[in-house]
Amino acid sequence: MGLSNKEKSLIISLIVTLLIFGWYFFGVFSNVTATSSEQLGFNDVIRVIFLIAILEGIIAWFFQKKGEADLVDERDKLIDTKSYRNSYWTLCIGVWFILMQLLFEASGPWSNAYHTLVFTSPIYIAHLLLLFFVLSEVIHFSTQLYHYRRGI
Amino acid sequence: MSQQMLADKIGVTRQTVFAIEKDKYSPSLEVAFKISNVFEIPLEEVFTYD
Repeated sequence: MGLSNKEKSLIISLIVTLLIFGWYFFGVFSNVTATSSEQLGFNDVIRVIFLIAILEGIIAWFFQKKGEADLVDERDKLIDTKSYRNSYWTLCIGVWFILMQLLFEASGPWSNAYHTLVFTSPIYIAHLLLLFFVLSEVIHFSTQLYHYRRGI
Repeated sequence: MSQQMLADKIGVTRQTVFAIEKDKYSPSLEVAFKISNVFEIPLEEVFTYD
């Protein structure tokens, strides 16, 4: 059996997310030593999020128009639950990682030396948080695809 | 009976019927009973436990 509309939609969403945020994070993390005014900032984040939202909307509209009634059955719900669980754990790991980094910065024995590192700047922390959000979304799409293809 | 016809009768997608046939998904008891009702044969003749 070929790919269903749901699988095609997931593959395209995954590719779009990887391409756009891959390009974005490449720009961010290859430029970590730049001054704050040179770094990608709030406006760039908003632009990327708008772009993703518009593209996801177009993808959803296209596959809805293409037909195949959007019936959601027990298998879809089970796959969705499993993928959200994996996505949740990815996000948890990310948040804990950032939390530990901030606590370490605030009270660790090397906090003075740590303050001089660029990795502790608020914009870097925000980008790191966004990275884990995107990673959790990628895990969500990938887990769904895996279970649709390989079974559950 | 086509996959789509069975799917319509038991209220799941055609992909789910395909997945059940290919042993890639174990349906809930509700769906299993619906399938046995559609074919009018006992549940244990439709599904076996390996």
